[in-house]
Amino acid sequence: MIKYIVKRLLQLIPVIIVTSFLIYWAMNLTSGDPALLIAGDKATPEMLEQIREEMGLNDPFLVRYGRYMLGMIQGDMGESYITGKDVFQTFMETLPNTLMLGGAAVLIAVIIALPLGIYTAIHQSTWKDNVGMVFALFGTAMPNFWLGLMLILLFSLKLGWFPSGGKAGFSSVVLPAVTVGYGLAALIMRTTRSSMLDVIRQDYMTTARAKGCSERQVIFRHGLKNALIPIITAIGMQISMIMTGSVLAETVFSWPGIGRLVNDSIARRDNEMVTGAIIMCSICMCLINLVVDLVYAFFDPRIKAQYAKKG
Amino acid sequence: MADLVLDIKDLVVHYETEDADVHAVNGISFQLGKKTTLGLVGETGAGKTTTALSILNLVPNPPGKIKSGSIVLDGVDVLKLSQEELEKVRGNDVAMIFQDPMTALNPVMTVGEQIAESVELHEKVSKQEAMERAKEMLRLVGIAENRAYDYPHQFSGGMKQRVVIAIALACNPKLLIADEPTTALDVTIQAQVLELMKNLIREYDMSMILITHDLGVVAEICDDVAVVYAGRIVEIGTADDIFNHTHHPYTEGLFDSLPNLKERGEELQPIKGLMPDPSNLPPGCSFAPRCPYATDACSKKVPELRPVGGTSSSKHMVACDAYDDPKFCLRRNKDGK
Repeated sequence: MIKYIVKRLLQLIPVIIVTSFLIYWAMNLTSGDPALLIAGDKATPEMLEQIREEMGLNDPFLVRYGRYMLGMIQGDMGESYITGKDVFQTFMETLPNTLMLGGAAVLIAVIIALPLGIYTAIHQSTWKDNVGMVFALFGTAMPNFWLGLMLILLFSLKLGWFPSGGKAGFSSVVLPAVTVGYGLAALIMRTTRSSMLDVIRQDYMTTARAKGCSERQVIFRHGLKNALIPIITAIGMQISMIMTGSVLAETVFSWPGIGRLVNDSIARRDNEMVTGAIIMCSICMCLINLVVDLVYAFFDPRIKAQYAKKG
Repeated sequence: MADLVLDIKDLVVHYETEDADVHAVNGISFQLGKKTTLGLVGETGAGKTTTALSILNLVPNPPGKIKSGSIVLDGVDVLKLSQEELEKVRGNDVAMIFQDPMTALNPVMTVGEQIAESVELHEKVSKQEAMERAKEMLRLVGIAENRAYDYPHQFSGGMKQRVVIAIALACNPKLLIADEPTTALDVTIQAQVLELMKNLIREYDMSMILITHDLGVVAEICDDVAVVYAGRIVEIGTADDIFNHTHHPYTEGLFDSLPNLKERGEELQPIKGLMPDPSNLPPGCSFAPRCPYATDACSKKVPELRPVGGTSSSKHMVACDAYDDPKFCLRRNKDGK
């Protein structure tokens, strides 16, 4: 098992090299002249040339990329041209905010979605199932920035229960977490329902009933653990999406997370920041995937056996 | 009769779907004495498994529905029991072995846990005691104790079926229902598993219902045999009655379609046609459309089971109205038998 983890971590290296190359290359194509950004509009051509020379911008692309990678190995991803802040440090300062929002959202989603998914599966094709599915349909169909705005309207402006934005204590995380969490809940619920429906028809469920298990024991002891693999996959994918993708919710609630950091940096054409943040995000995604794969092994002995073999 | 374990009367089970009303079981009645093994023989779709599931009141509902009849198990009608009472009966008084051992075991629980669970559900024992019992059961079915901590995917098909048997026998049930227990296994393993089951039922004084379409298996272990066709029993009697004094044309057809070692190379004689669609059964005798002896009268009235008499045992009954004619005799029985 440990061998397997080490192997997976080593596999991260080529992934990082390839993604960082693609990102660096893409940013290199799209960006304007950094020297112009730094020196401002009134700079003379000589000044620009001097800046370019100092920053090594005149070197060939591969040389610049190589230099960037060397820096990255030492934890140095450069400094923002605009704010002058260290990129790596800025990312690490923003990461906890995103993790907090993401964690709360996933927690809310799982608490709602898991029981509801199981419940609708057991009552398939009845009105209870239909009500649950409509709830899920709303979750997937509703744009979450709109839901966010509606929540602000009701709970911040009308009722004044929660702050409308920013990050200040526990209460400020509630609305953004509900906004993001509802969308996730819809997806996780649908996965739970279909996975559970699959499992309910399996022979071992009949074996369990024939043994004298109560319906509750059949569903939770025998059913749920077997149904978990697709559910964990869905949750894992959601977490990686939140890492990078809750830009809209973060913007609506002016939540200082990574989505907003990247978004703002793109708007400011802060190339160093964008490149660094995206590379870090892809590393985080790989790590989350690894964790998800390890969680599989915890729940399914067959997968564990495979890992041991591959290890 | 006091020594009856099971008494099924006029069991009718339908599967009601939006498209059709499937008449899976249409009035099956039979009795099973203590320490007896009854073979339930018939083609796929004849209603054997549905009958078996009804005994545990486990017919999947919806769409399955037990329409009428009674299933008296040791003096108690299981169809009238509450959910909790049923849970006490299942696994404790009646246990079931399923057809496909590959899918009958929970892939994420160790086999030891799965056997122990059955013990824990029905007896007041601690987890450790239950696990000890599970190991004992494993030993009984010929698997080393230390494999109790292994998962089903680490066992072969035959071993898995042994585990399934161990689960079924863990609480020492009075009645064991084995639904085609050897169909999914290859022939050499089949023999081992059958031998094991035979010994265990004898040792534990159990009754058994063996569902199968394999007449060889029936000959091997069954005392009594019931031949089922389209949800009805067409012939029932002791194994000797069925094998040596066959009376129903369908039973005859089953024997004719078996390969014969003595006359190798001879062509098999399958029964012509297919089993009728259970959602659209023909009127009268459901075997009439395929029966070589059928007359017009056969498709008018559903034949009742009637005693055979003669050289057969008192149990031997057949549902065929051709015997209204006292001279009627199956081809198989003509030459001297």
